Amino acid sequence: MNDRRRVNGPPGGTRPPVYASLLQSGTGADTRAQRQRQPSDLRKIFLKTGLIPSASGSSYLEFEPSASLAAARSNPKSLIPPSSALKLACTVHGPKPLPRSAPFSPNLVLTTHVKYAPFAARRRKGHVRDSSERDLGVHLETALRGAIIAERWPKSGLDITVTILEAEDDRWWGDVPDSHDASWGMMNVLAGCISAASAAIADAHIDSEHRSIVSACVVAYMPARDEITELWLKGDSSKVSTADGDQRSGHEALIDGAVDAARGAHTVLAEAVRESLQKTLGQS
Amino acid sequence: MASSSASTAAPAAPNSLSLPPSQFARLQPHAYLLAHLSPPSSSNQPSIRANGRAPSQFRVTSANAGSLTHTNGSAVVRLGDTTAVCGVRAEILHTDDIASWSVSQSTNANKRRRIGESEKETEAKDEEDRAHIEDLNLLVPNISLSTGCAPGFIPSAPPSALAQSLSHQILSLLHTSRLVQAEDLRIWYQPPNLGPEEAQQHNDEEQMDLDAGANEEETKPAEIKAFWVLYIDIMLISLAGNPFDAAWASVLAALRDTKLPKAWWDVDNESILCSDDVKESQKLSLRGLPISSSFCVFEADAAAGWRAVVIPDAEEQKVQDSKHGSQQQKWILADPDGYEEGLVQERVYLVVDKEEGKTVIVKMEKLGGWTVDSEDLRQLVDISAQRWDEMKRILDQC
Repeated sequence: MNDRRRVNGPPGGTRPPVYASLLQSGTGADTRAQRQRQPSDLRKIFLKTGLIPSASGSSYLEFEPSASLAAARSNPKSLIPPSSALKLACTVHGPKPLPRSAPFSPNLVLTTHVKYAPFAARRRKGHVRDSSERDLGVHLETALRGAIIAERWPKSGLDITVTILEAEDDRWWGDVPDSHDASWGMMNVLAGCISAASAAIADAHIDSEHRSIVSACVVAYMPARDEITELWLKGDSSKVSTADGDQRSGHEALIDGAVDAARGAHTVLAEAVRESLQKTLGQS
Repeated sequence: MASSSASTAAPAAPNSLSLPPSQFARLQPHAYLLAHLSPPSSSNQPSIRANGRAPSQFRVTSANAGSLTHTNGSAVVRLGDTTAVCGVRAEILHTDDIASWSVSQSTNANKRRRIGESEKETEAKDEEDRAHIEDLNLLVPNISLSTGCAPGFIPSAPPSALAQSLSHQILSLLHTSRLVQAEDLRIWYQPPNLGPEEAQQHNDEEQMDLDAGANEEETKPAEIKAFWVLYIDIMLISLAGNPFDAAWASVLAALRDTKLPKAWWDVDNESILCSDDVKESQKLSLRGLPISSSFCVFEADAAAGWRAVVIPDAEEQKVQDSKHGSQQQKWILADPDGYEEGLVQERVYLVVDKEEGKTVIVKMEKLGGWTVDSEDLRQLVDISAQRWDEMKRILDQC
């Protein structure tokens, strides 16, 4: 069905370009970028808050591009990007009164929206929210719900919107035999969403219990209370270990690693929030 | 007791009546802006807008292109606090997928044969370019405001009226300014000219009938096998007034950044293949550089427009006004921010380009009132021409 409220493309549909070099080599595996970091190394995060004045809180988060992407940018050879870096913007509106028609709620009503920009991923995304975006929204909501003192704002609503400008790839784009159809990239995206949303909430000066909920791979973690508010595991984790000679079981190793990463992200988040707070204090 | 309370109340009274500027701005926005624009003559202050700009001053603009990985071209434009991110994605439209392609091709060919003459050739070619881009929907701009850019927009709702009208304004401006050349979007195929022996061989092998062999002497004309379709998506990350200028500037910067890979029809695969080599890719060659500037008209008496009796003859009205000395005081503000946009009715949108030093008006739109006359419009075109120089410098740097 045609969406009459948007400008539609050709009615017959279009196809993404097919690159001849991929057809020849079949997989493109020979040019596949290898991870240059150690397993426990974290990427650098760029996080800035307070960029959108009309929102009560906002943040912009960007991951450091991988070594292969940085090399491809400085010396472009192929139009096919080796990998991509996460870029997302988050806004918080509220707490604001609920509309009159809404039923009474003794707690803050938290609404989260996650939307990919159409150009965010390797495949063009539609304008209408698809199931993976709704899924991410629900995950984000559960992760944040534990961090906000909802009883303090009865009859109010809080809208959190995350726009993903550039997503990480779900998997390697060539048809490599060891790749699965699981969307791993979504987990990274969620981690970024949670970080950005917490920064935006802190920027909005909404009291969360600890102004420091952070995320990691799929763990949303509050360091001040040593509590995990969101945990999302996928795939077979029985053979995972972050260090040699690790005696822990797969799940534990994975979660501990994620919590370590969350602590790393937390330092960046705290620094960014402190910076923006100092700026607002300086203004007033 | 009473005297003491009175004495304490007296110094408090002026405090309770005077408001801090930020509250005054919220309670009496119109009076607040008016007080800024028409300061008392005794104070010797210049007329300045509430945001500290002169009436014809634009906000600080910055542009950055090519930072998004998965796009053919992208740009971020910040116009003060309004931020627009534009990404251009190119996809392929096969002529097989166009329902009316073979029909429209044959009628076009007939038309060309009928016209024939050289002076009409360019006209026909222009018409064909227009037909290809507009009728086949090769340019697909969409603007999204559901990014939490301003409190009024619900993220999960379908595009608001503003978003729809902005998308269509951008689409119509892309069409009327003829910014993108249709030739850049065509993917041609030159059928190989088989030599006589080869053709003979072919004929023998495949038992082709005679008339196929008849035109083997002349080279077969190149045919269009596919078109590039440019999906131009604009995410308005932050909205603080004047979304059209920011969106259009981001579209322009992204299209200037757009690279299309070299594409060809592959006979064996019966599909279009592309080369991923950056050296073989081509930038779009855009026609001119149309820059948009928006203005709004702030009137001293907000309700005057509603009380006035509309007289069809504007000149007569002006004479009458000057006689009575009741000329409505007005200010034309360039690049309005969100606060100012809420206080005005009348808007002027101008898009100008410069060709060899001469200013060309690409689009002129005026709506919402009748205070701007032709003299004002002429001045606005001059201001837009200055803005063109400034924007060209910014876009060239990004």
